[in-house]
Amino acid sequence: MAMQGGTALQEKVSRMLSRKHKKPVLKPNKPLVLKDEVANRKIKKGEATCVTEMSMMMACWKQNNFVDTLCSNEMQSFYTCVEKAQIAVKNKSEQHTIGQSGRLQPKQATILLKRYPNLHVEI
Amino acid sequence: MAASLTGLLKPWTPRVLLVRWSRYNPYYLEPGPRKEVYHIPETELTPEQKEERELKSVRPIKAATNSVTSSVFNDPVLSKFVNMMMKDGDKIIAKGIITQTLENMKRKQVEKYHKAPEGKKAEIECNPYAIFHQALENCKPVIGLTSIQKGGKFYQVPIPLTDNRRRFLAMKWMITECRDNKHRRTLMYEKLSQELLAAFSKEGNVVKRKHELHKMAESNRAYAHYRWW
Repeated sequence: MAMQGGTALQEKVSRMLSRKHKKPVLKPNKPLVLKDEVANRKIKKGEATCVTEMSMMMACWKQNNFVDTLCSNEMQSFYTCVEKAQIAVKNKSEQHTIGQSGRLQPKQATILLKRYPNLHVEI
Repeated sequence: MAASLTGLLKPWTPRVLLVRWSRYNPYYLEPGPRKEVYHIPETELTPEQKEERELKSVRPIKAATNSVTSSVFNDPVLSKFVNMMMKDGDKIIAKGIITQTLENMKRKQVEKYHKAPEGKKAEIECNPYAIFHQALENCKPVIGLTSIQKGGKFYQVPIPLTDNRRRFLAMKWMITECRDNKHRRTLMYEKLSQELLAAFSKEGNVVKRKHELHKMAESNRAYAHYRWW
């Protein structure tokens, strides 16, 4: 089944490369070969954490002319927020590596592809 | 005669050999050089500490570095400061400067103590280690700035810093300040003791530098959303 799919694809590619009827659709400058790796990409773009705590602390600083002793409460809450954010990031990355939800992670796909690479030398 | 000559024919090995590497298998545990941990009797251990002890009896442990001892005078923060001050691997000079600094600070504080009136004597801190730690705490910045590129331009964005980074910045500022802004004839330990005492009372150039960083971060607070972590 895979071979039939493979031959159909090769026929389509050769049709696209041929100059028989009209101009060729594909004019490749490199051989049409897939790489042994998958690109790493992060799907979701994260957002800035602890911005509210930071802005509260900065407002306190502005009021008290940057004296640290009077702003200790805000600073403490900022530190706790930062710690929580770091732990959350760690947990999320762990969860992503362990639970893939039906899809392989890019790093895992690369490892598998590297085990069976494309042959570029005749054996 | 033959016996003494065979002794000389052995290949030479240095008396002190490096044992610890930097790359260990992840299941090696860190060494715990502090003695107080082992003085706690069995009954007073929390379950996590008991688990740790059991783990230590089965797992291999990394070799401790030469700079780590189990003595009461071993201070990791001070050791880090000495290493940062060291030039060309000359730890003896760096450690000597720090010892002289601590002695100098103690002398100044004791002089102040004896000259102070009775009511104020209790407030003067004479322990140079406590002064050093408090001064370093006062120099640590809370927020840092980093360059983030957005739309072709680079903006200075305020970011939270890790504890290690904050400690490093405080020490670095202290050392550069003492190296650059001093009179040609003042020695390093003298200038360091002056700066540390000033930082202890929240004055001086290092604390000013920290405040300037905070002011820059505050003025750039609009760009805080350019962060993505």
